[in-house]
Amino acid sequence: MTPLSRRAFGTAALGSLLVGCSGGAAEPAADTRARRTRGTGGSGDGPSSGTSANSVRALGRSAPVRLLIPAIAVDTPLIRLGLAKDGTVEVPPITADDRAGWYLHSPTPGEVGPSVVLGHVTVGNYGDGVFRRLAELRRGDRIVARRKDGSTAEFAVDRVRTVAKAEFPAEQVYGDVDRPELRLITCGGPRDGQEYRDNVIVFAALRSTSP
Amino acid sequence: MRRTVLSALALTCTALLAGAAPALADSRPSAVPSDVRSAKPSAVPADSRPSPVPSDARSAEPSTVPAESAPSAAPTRAPERGQVSVRPAGAPDTGVADTGSDSASGGLVGGGAAAVLLAGGAVTLVRRRRAHGA
Repeated sequence: MTPLSRRAFGTAALGSLLVGCSGGAAEPAADTRARRTRGTGGSGDGPSSGTSANSVRALGRSAPVRLLIPAIAVDTPLIRLGLAKDGTVEVPPITADDRAGWYLHSPTPGEVGPSVVLGHVTVGNYGDGVFRRLAELRRGDRIVARRKDGSTAEFAVDRVRTVAKAEFPAEQVYGDVDRPELRLITCGGPRDGQEYRDNVIVFAALRSTSP
Repeated sequence: MRRTVLSALALTCTALLAGAAPALADSRPSAVPSDVRSAKPSAVPADSRPSPVPSDARSAEPSTVPAESAPSAAPTRAPERGQVSVRPAGAPDTGVADTGSDSASGGLVGGGAAAVLLAGGAVTLVRRRRAHGA
């Protein structure tokens, strides 16, 4: 071996060593980067859906006990409402201390599905009902449902509809949905004798929960 | 110089082996799916073997039982339990109009009309008496 060939051999050996080391180091780095990206993407989807899921995470079943709507100064206990003999939904009794009621065959507020709460717009000679100002709600207004287990489900108004009772949108009100939602129902529109012609329906979606 | 050459050679061999180790490690998992794949086809003929013997009986019984009962019952019941289980009929009647004000106004109107009639009658009586007296 001449000195030149020795130098060349030594350089080649050192070069191959460096290439081997750097290649070995580069691959794991790329792997970790890819994993992190995947992890971030996955956890980004996860956490973002997680944070959104945290903010709109569905709750378990627990009957609502109170309803608060600050925008229209509603703070009412909730009674349980079932079905009347004629198959229509029960409504709260006509009393001076008018209260709203939760339809017990619907999901509880915070559960996946449309939770239905009903209240009177007027209660005969007693005057205004608990949902007298329901039609004044606007998109984004806050609705808070307190539940028997101590948890709270906070909803945001999505839309307010006034529809003729003859054309009551049962599917939109009672139909299945893929997230926790809330329906507030009362009467409205012009009066036909002692009855109101329309229903006012507030559609709201779960915004946050607290244990 | 020999020491230098030998040490460089040793380093190179070490580096090559170190580089080859991950490649060997990577090649190992490729053997796993091959085993799995080899296991799958072995399962297929195992299933296919008994099929020719009781093919008519087995294919007829399980196909009717799970196809009709199990899948049809599961998807229909599940969504109903989670959401509105009983849909009410018609629209909710959540407003009882104030009848008290209507009856009060009606009473006022009736009372006013009665007062007008009484006043008219009284005036008529007074005029008749004055006429007779005169």
